[in-house]
Amino acid sequence: MTRGWVRGLLVGALVVGAVAARADDTVPKITMKDGRFDPPELVVAADTAVQLQVTNADAAAIEFESFELHRERVIQPGQTVTVYLPALKAGRYPFFDDFHKTAEGAIVAR
Amino acid sequence: MRRGAVWWGAIGAIVVGAQFVRFDRTAPPVHGDLVAPPEVMRTLRGACYDCHSNETEWPWYSQVAPFSWLLQRDVDEGRRRLNFSEWDEYASDPGTAVAKLSEIAASVARGGMAPWYYRVLHSAARLSPAQRELLRQWAEGAAGQERPSA
Repeated sequence: MTRGWVRGLLVGALVVGAVAARADDTVPKITMKDGRFDPPELVVAADTAVQLQVTNADAAAIEFESFELHRERVIQPGQTVTVYLPALKAGRYPFFDDFHKTAEGAIVAR
Repeated sequence: MRRGAVWWGAIGAIVVGAQFVRFDRTAPPVHGDLVAPPEVMRTLRGACYDCHSNETEWPWYSQVAPFSWLLQRDVDEGRRRLNFSEWDEYASDPGTAVAKLSEIAASVARGGMAPWYYRVLHSAARLSPAQRELLRQWAEGAAGQERPSA
């Protein structure tokens, strides 16, 4: 009986882990690496609030900023931040690194 | 003499022509104004709101080119960077609200805002040390309250 209980617990843990991993895959992510945003264009569902994860994989701090989205975050090297986006109408919303003007990208809601 | 007249005529024509470049000054709506203590709001409205809100008060010389172009540029850029009338948009992401408040505190402490040419014409923008300290303390305190865990 104990063995069955333990087996059930292991199966449950595997299922929960698989679901959590799958949920993490659905979180939109942007990474700054080698002075560029990856991906340069990120597609999200329109009319749906989104939590965006932005990671700075470079050696210097960046400032993730978007005038159209009203968003601004300073991200230290190695840091990941969560940026909350409201439900966006279909359209293109540029963003850039205000500390290094050459890096830019866009969020496309559709 | 004739060449001088031609030059002056050309300059005059450019200045007159420049007056026909007009800007749409219809103010966007105020849909989420900043909420702060009354003294802070009074100071911000006097020193910052012309460029950093949708409640810009346009003086008479803002209708005269090239001043109209310079003022329009400053207001457009000011609103893009920080718009108190749309504070609710920043506040919907706590990290952004913290970033904006931290920048306000730093700008005020540095004396970088308001720009010198604005302060020359607007006495309310010439912040006293006490007013700068008021804004700095408010902004840093508000940032501390908003700071998210990640």
